[in-house]
Amino acid sequence: MANNSHNPLNSASDESPNGNRQRLLEIQAQTANGSANTKARAETEPPRPALPPLLAASGLCKSFGGIAAVDNAEIQVAQGSITGLIGPNGAGKTTLFNLLSNFISPDRGRIIFDGEPIQSLPPHQIAQRGMVRTFQVARVLSRLSVMENMLLAAQKQTGENFWSVWWQAQQIQREERQLREQATAILESIGLAHMASAYAGALSGGQRKLLEMGRALMAQPKLILLDEPAAGVNPTLIKEICDRIITWNREGLSFLIIEHNMDVIMSLCDRVWVLAEGRNLAVGTPEEIQNNPQVLEAYLGQ
Amino acid sequence: MFGYLVVLVISAATYALFGLGLNLQWGFTGLINFGHVAFMTVGAYTTVLLSAQGVPMAIAVLIGAALAAILGLLIGLSTLRLREDYLAIVTIGVSELIRLVVLNEEWLTRGTFGVQGFPLPLANLNGDYKTNLMILSLLVLGLVFWGLEWLVKSPWGRVLKAIREDEQVAKALGKNVFWYKLQSFMLGGAIAGVAGAFYAWQSTTIYPSSFEPLITFNVWTMVVLGGAGSNLGTILGAVIFWGYDSLTRFVLPQIIQLDDARLGALRIMIIGLILMVLMVWRPQGILGKKEELTLGK
Ligand SMILES: Nc1ncnc2c1ncn2[C@@H]1O[C@H](COP(=O)(O)OP(=O)(O)OP(=O)(O)O)[C@@H](O)[C@H]1O
Ligand SMILES: [Mg+2]
Repeated sequence: MANNSHNPLNSASDESPNGNRQRLLEIQAQTANGSANTKARAETEPPRPALPPLLAASGLCKSFGGIAAVDNAEIQVAQGSITGLIGPNGAGKTTLFNLLSNFISPDRGRIIFDGEPIQSLPPHQIAQRGMVRTFQVARVLSRLSVMENMLLAAQKQTGENFWSVWWQAQQIQREERQLREQATAILESIGLAHMASAYAGALSGGQRKLLEMGRALMAQPKLILLDEPAAGVNPTLIKEICDRIITWNREGLSFLIIEHNMDVIMSLCDRVWVLAEGRNLAVGTPEEIQNNPQVLEAYLGQ
Repeated sequence: MFGYLVVLVISAATYALFGLGLNLQWGFTGLINFGHVAFMTVGAYTTVLLSAQGVPMAIAVLIGAALAAILGLLIGLSTLRLREDYLAIVTIGVSELIRLVVLNEEWLTRGTFGVQGFPLPLANLNGDYKTNLMILSLLVLGLVFWGLEWLVKSPWGRVLKAIREDEQVAKALGKNVFWYKLQSFMLGGAIAGVAGAFYAWQSTTIYPSSFEPLITFNVWTMVVLGGAGSNLGTILGAVIFWGYDSLTRFVLPQIIQLDDARLGALRIMIIGLILMVLMVWRPQGILGKKEELTLGK
């Protein structure tokens, strides 16, 4: 497991455990390009350790009927980091997620996850190896309960094997009990515990986003790809989600986050990649990106 | 009267078994199988032909079920990776194909002459053959029902339900969707194969014409009537269907003077009408859960 020292956000020893939270509050009180925020970040930036990246993709291409949605794109996610992916609408961010998780197979390109090439693996095997994605429009299993949605996500369940269902009933029961506890804890942390037995289809849009995130967590992956976790979520809840992400990150989980809400990007990310028209436009710390004239132009000039 | 009731119970039990196979595929996994009768045909012919060659009855049934499962495997391997409508189309084609093979491969199936005089189970036991068969069919139905309930409530069943809802989600969470669909399709086929054996034992003769596409239509009616995704609902659907069948068979001719062919058509029309009314009034089926339909996707 990666630990905190890889993460500039969490490694600042002079910060109280609540430092991130406070900074978050601070940032949210400001506009996206508040200068105080930029300074605070610069002071706490430690030297970057030279670990191989958890996820490294290069030369990714995908066209839909002649239109290049992703054009020779590259992205890296450092071990234990929270990495941001931004870009104007239609830049190809979601498509890039689809390529990384092989929901759409790339025309060209190479993807290394956790030291091994994964570009030819089917989506479910990529998830099994510890890279779980969420969807831009939250997809919950409506006719399953919230709890069942969570339980489904757990990996390596004995009871998912047809024969074990018959021969290992006790083992399965034990596992189910454990998973239920685990799921309840996660549901509590995302404020959905009271909905555990409701149909997931009865959740609101924002709650679905939360459930999807909790479900991804339930798979105990190494890396979670979040596609606009804050979209359609109310500001207080956004703050809570950010807090959760920071907590989970401290526990060793890495994130790659697509988000249009710059406050979220600024408060969470160690490093931000910018995509425009399917190509890499820039990469750097949130401050660097914020002050990059090219990036501003891409956002304003669309 | 008692004799007729016994036949009625065997028929209902056989169709309930047949329907449970479809309910696993459609009700729990969302697989559209419009050729369910093919599995029944394979199960019925395999059982009677093998047992006529002296293979012990129980083994013959198991082989019949296994062959039905293999048919499911072949259909599944070729279509389950594709969009769901391909499965629907291919199953229609395969069921006709199987019927035509049975019709034309006379060296094996005796074609239109049908197969008669094959060994029947429990035939040398004391008491009435049909009564024994009824008890056996109820026992097997109970066993399969229990087994399916156990399965669909397990984590294995949870994966099937997830696939029914949204297979992309199941994939994103590391489930091998194709493999689970295949398992569900094969198991549903095997159960239909066992139902085929009971069908043969009940009729004591089988013809290619016993396995018309109408059988598939009927079993869909039962599953939808009872409530897709409910095993108990499927059994209830079969009971209602056969209750309706015999009621109209005896009552209708006394009300309306029609020849047999027209009467048959009228009975099908009425069940179609009932189904339409049900779809408007209770689209989730009799035992289906109402809330599930009102949920946003
Ligand atoms: N399956 C598809 N078929 C055809 N075109 C597609 C497909 N998926 C994406 N595209 C196109 O690729 C481009 C990039 O889309 P994508 O969804 O990746 O953008 P995005 O960066 O996620 O945008 P947003 O911020 O609005 O979510 C768009 O022009 C879109 O129309
Ligand atoms: Mg998108």
